[in-house]
Amino acid sequence: MDTQIVELVNVTREVAWLPWAVQYFFLIGLSVGGVLLSLPGIAFGRAEWRKLGRVALVVGLTCGLAAPVALLSDLHQPGRFWHFYVVARPSSWMWWGSLFVPFYVAALLLYAWAAFRPELADHGRGEGRIAALYRMAAQGEGCARLTRMAALLVLAAGALVALYTGVEVALVKARPLWNTPFLPVQFLMTALAGAAGLVLLLNRVVGDGDRGVEEQANRLLAVALGGVMALGAAWFALGLFGLDATHAQALASVAGSEAWRVTAVWAVLATLVPFVIALAKPVGTGWITGLIAVHSAWMFRWTVFIGGQSLPKTGAGFYEYALPAGPEGMLGIVGTLGLWVLLLAVVTLVLPTPPKPLPAPGPQRAAHGRTVAAE
Amino acid sequence: MDRSRRNFFLGAGAVTVGAAALTAAPPAEAATSPAGDPAHRWAMVVDVRKCVGCQACTVACIHENHVPDNSFRTIVSTYEVTERGKAGTYMLPRLCNHCEDAPCLPVCPTGATFQRADGIVVVDNSVCVGCAYCVQACPYDARFINHATQTADKCTFCVHRVDAGLLPACVETCVGGARVFGDLKDPDSAVSKLLKAENPKVLKPEQGTQPRVFYVGLDPRFDGKVDGTPTLWKPAAQKHDSKEHV
Repeated sequence: MDTQIVELVNVTREVAWLPWAVQYFFLIGLSVGGVLLSLPGIAFGRAEWRKLGRVALVVGLTCGLAAPVALLSDLHQPGRFWHFYVVARPSSWMWWGSLFVPFYVAALLLYAWAAFRPELADHGRGEGRIAALYRMAAQGEGCARLTRMAALLVLAAGALVALYTGVEVALVKARPLWNTPFLPVQFLMTALAGAAGLVLLLNRVVGDGDRGVEEQANRLLAVALGGVMALGAAWFALGLFGLDATHAQALASVAGSEAWRVTAVWAVLATLVPFVIALAKPVGTGWITGLIAVHSAWMFRWTVFIGGQSLPKTGAGFYEYALPAGPEGMLGIVGTLGLWVLLLAVVTLVLPTPPKPLPAPGPQRAAHGRTVAAE
Repeated sequence: MDRSRRNFFLGAGAVTVGAAALTAAPPAEAATSPAGDPAHRWAMVVDVRKCVGCQACTVACIHENHVPDNSFRTIVSTYEVTERGKAGTYMLPRLCNHCEDAPCLPVCPTGATFQRADGIVVVDNSVCVGCAYCVQACPYDARFINHATQTADKCTFCVHRVDAGLLPACVETCVGGARVFGDLKDPDSAVSKLLKAENPKVLKPEQGTQPRVFYVGLDPRFDGKVDGTPTLWKPAAQKHDSKEHV
């Protein structure tokens, strides 16, 4: 039947989960991803992964400390955060999250401290007040057993955080775009990709640009991005072929939008391009693959949260969204980034990257020098 | 007999309702606790055939409940429908559905959102942290963040009026008599009779929320997300500024 419906009057609901929420899910995801990438080298004694593990731990630590601030800021009544802790609401995954997040941050701090103890102790081997402070912080030498125990603790806490952040959103039946069992796994895989990307960037920015780390991180990135693409393809297929009603509804709700089609193409390119580069040339491409991977992980969350909330549940078409300049928008994003940069500065100031072993003399040294100069 | 008109409702079942407003001694309903009286199950039947889209309910609600600018606890969604070359207008009053199995309830991490014994879903805005999880969980876009209180907000069936034995403001003001409010546990109430006589429908039945706002004359093309051209009308362009509400 030839029917045309034009909405004349309706309410426009503004986004209620603000860009702060995007920042939180981005940072906590990168933190969990960073912790996971750090485990083989830091906790389980795989020497070839040790250097990458250190950079990944810096990713996990800095992102993990910044994330709860973004989460708190997303509450419209942040001063009432303690209300979470005076009731038992096991039916709410957000309530469980209020328990898991402090547990994760505490376990992360313990793990980072245990892992960095030998470095703290090294800095404490000297005279003066600073060295005394390092000795106080180190409280002795490193202990592999303690590090391993702390790693298991943070692994458990990270798994709970990954579980709750995914399920909390995936259970929202009112939003077909969110209501998919794929979402928790997609969050995790994109977080791993983003963490590998940030390892690539930090390896250059605050690390020593180690090529071995770069190659390892690019390989890991390719694996994570492969997983992201497989999950995306499966989600798309379920919707396209109508194999599942919710997925079909979710796909149909955005398929007619030019903006969403552009976003989909953009997302595919932001996954495929670093995947191909990381596989084809894993050395010397860390900047580009790292930047795109971090961008891709952030964009996934932006699309899920802000894009998802731009879909009216009852009204026609889409709600418009324009990023506000203030704390409800751009300022929140920039502020969170600023906090993370500050944390990174503090961590790398207290624990500077250990110096490279002296390079071998002779022609090899010259060759190395040329290579660095050419970058 | 025009059973759905407001005058009928008032005349048939609510002599005490009128008395509540006039007499000093509150009627039995006014004695109910804030937790609600389990002897009642409040509900609304909206006869969309009688709605003229005047938005009197929208305005009455805003005034009664001090709803901030650009926010709405209820609104009459209005659509132009062109079919076989003929254009018509379709009106659909929307509000919180006070569902029997309300998805906004289990997600609340602090218990600020709860359902009273009489079925009315309310928000204690002294407990709400403004996490907006309930806003996401509601399938009807009935909830929003109130920028004056920075907490979740929604229609309460004018619970303060109901507890005082009065009708919700939107029902009281409806010029077409399209909104009928009453007690489902009273078989002689107007809503109970309408449910039996008219077999009204609910919005998004597939969500399984068991809404307690029913619609007579609901066109199935409008019972979920409407497939049409979105509205050009937007709330005032000026952005909410929390300072103006402090």
